[in-house]
Amino acid sequence: MMVINVKNLVKRYGDLIALDHFNLQVQEGEVLGLLGPNGSGKTTAINCILSLLKYDKGSIEIYDQPMAPDAYAIKRNIGVVMQNVAVFNELTVYENIDYFCGLYISDKQTRKKLVAEAIDFVGLNDFTKFLPKKLSGGLLRRLNIACGIAHKPKLIILDEPTVAVDPQSRNSILEGIQKLNQQGATIIYTSHYMEEVEQIASRIAIMDKGKIIAMGTNEELKRMIKSGEHINLELLNAEDLDLEAIKAIPDIISAELSDNQLVVTSSRGKNNLIVILDQLKAQHIAIGKVYSEPPTLNDVFLEITGKELRD
Amino acid sequence: MFLFNYAYRLKCILRNRELMFWTLMFPILLAILFNLAFSNIYSTEKFIKVNVALVQNDALTANPAFSDALSKMDDLFVVSQTTLEEADALLKENQIDGYIIFDPELKLKVNRSGLNQTIIRGFLDDFLQSSATLVTVISENPAALESGTIAGVYSRTDYLSAVSASKSSPDTTVHFFYTLIAMTCLYGGFLGVNEVIAIQANLSDVGARINTAPTNKLTVFLSSMLAATTIQLAELLLLLAFIVGVLGISFGDQLGYIALACVIGSLTGVTFGTFIAATVKKSEGIITGILIGSTMTMSFLAGMMSADIKYLVATKMPILGYLNPANLITNSFYALYYYNTPTQFFINILLLCGFTLLFSATTYFILRRQTYASL
Ligand SMILES: Nc1ncnc2c1ncn2[C@@H]1O[C@H](COP(=O)(O)OP(=O)(O)O)[C@@H](O)[C@H]1O
Ligand SMILES: [Mg+2]
Repeated sequence: MMVINVKNLVKRYGDLIALDHFNLQVQEGEVLGLLGPNGSGKTTAINCILSLLKYDKGSIEIYDQPMAPDAYAIKRNIGVVMQNVAVFNELTVYENIDYFCGLYISDKQTRKKLVAEAIDFVGLNDFTKFLPKKLSGGLLRRLNIACGIAHKPKLIILDEPTVAVDPQSRNSILEGIQKLNQQGATIIYTSHYMEEVEQIASRIAIMDKGKIIAMGTNEELKRMIKSGEHINLELLNAEDLDLEAIKAIPDIISAELSDNQLVVTSSRGKNNLIVILDQLKAQHIAIGKVYSEPPTLNDVFLEITGKELRD
Repeated sequence: MFLFNYAYRLKCILRNRELMFWTLMFPILLAILFNLAFSNIYSTEKFIKVNVALVQNDALTANPAFSDALSKMDDLFVVSQTTLEEADALLKENQIDGYIIFDPELKLKVNRSGLNQTIIRGFLDDFLQSSATLVTVISENPAALESGTIAGVYSRTDYLSAVSASKSSPDTTVHFFYTLIAMTCLYGGFLGVNEVIAIQANLSDVGARINTAPTNKLTVFLSSMLAATTIQLAELLLLLAFIVGVLGISFGDQLGYIALACVIGSLTGVTFGTFIAATVKKSEGIITGILIGSTMTMSFLAGMMSADIKYLVATKMPILGYLNPANLITNSFYALYYYNTPTQFFINILLLCGFTLLFSATTYFILRRQTYASL
């Protein structure tokens, strides 16, 4: 079943086109990773989907119903974790979760149970009476998540929930999201960290300049591009290297030498490593460490847009 | 939902130190400051009656109602009957605060501005209002002359009767406390601003979160406003209790009317805040800055720092006085204090209600929009 169907969304801020015919389909039960550099329009897309932002063109359906500010039946099923921490500074951890849960669940007993579960889920049990300003960045992010998911929504939208978070909190957040998905929630997760998206997303949409430029599973995306792997070789007498000869090998896309480290990017398949080693042997180059890296989403992004994902 | 949000908003406001400082502690501190300053100046000095001269001429003789009304105010005014020359001389020597002359319409001549002059003016304004009614009645319905309606209208000048003996004796420092209360009413604007910020997705992150919830935004806002108003009224009650109970300032005995003025003034204040926050599409800091700036200006023009300013506005630019909620609140207290009937009082209250309505309606139309052009 289709959970979200966004067609041809256009959103302008004055002259700036933040979303340029943005299309997105999300299926029930998946973790969709929306990956794109800062300023690519992820937050704008999420806010349009949530009916917070006016848009200039296009349509948004959630659970086959048109999304609107007063589509309360749809909103009831959505949990939102915004990019910025959205909690009341005057309320404690417990009160904040209770307040936002209360906007969805009016029965007091049910809510009590849900809030307790949410606190458990994000591991804030020792901090329930703390005010937000007493929490570290990581704990604050966890509170932000708890406020968005306490009412057990079927669809959870998280906009960069791990920005400025220590690695430990980040891992626990990512594990939590996977757990929510295993419990049946459909997840949309935006990030500009490819590692995170690779780790948790079952399907990835790569975004640039307000458009989805590639979409598929991690493997599908990497198969889409020419480069197969990056072969790293440590050269013991790098000064004797004939780099052009390496570049001339068929199936070699690029070769770069920095200090004594040679990085060769080859196209997929074949016995590239053996061919390279043969060539180096012929040049009488001694070799130290050798290792090979599979392509990353950064390579995918680089090949499609001509620029790095993070710059 | 309504009560749930109400209870949480009360909690949020009460725990917001900055907000509680400006809306409660700051006015109380100012009250203490005023009291310290004035107890030195006025403690030995009793309330001195206002000295006026009434110039005797034919036009005055033709207006017996005026002499009548003035003579009833003998608790407030010491009236001397003089010729024009005598009046001029007295004024020059500062023997009188001002003189009144029919020339042929009613005129007041003063050579400085101050509280006493404001009091004379207030009396004249009141009188003119009733005489304007009189003229209208006669010109539109000449038959009324015979039927006795006139007698009815004349008797309305009763309201000009003096501050009765049951009332406390007038105290010039009380004026500063009036403007202080007016300022506190308008500082309810802080609470209004706070509620708009908390619910507007383009002003706060919690606002964005609330807007994604399956709740009617206006219902939530109404409940939040109720919480803000509750706190504002409780704070005013505390301030009044402090001024009357601890500082021992007396506001006369018309507590019911005073309470009404505080309630309406507070509503004006809180909705003024929502109005500013909803219309000024800038950051929280700028919104608060505009709120402080405008309330301070209004309080200043209403005479918080000097009664002369109030008089200046009343004479040079009366319209400004009517467009200034702080002035309207102060004036409604004046009306209670100096005059016995509530006509003046209710005119001010009515104008305040008008402002409240205008502020609320604007806020409503802006908050009603549910999607934002930009966040
Ligand atoms: N309120 C706004 N007014 C004007 N431009 C904006 C506004 N919000 C975002 N933008 C611009 O729109 C583009 C997309 O921004 P955003 O959706 O925040 O990207 P992301 O979330 O991917 O970092 C950026 O170029 C950003 O500068
Ligand atoms: Mg963003």
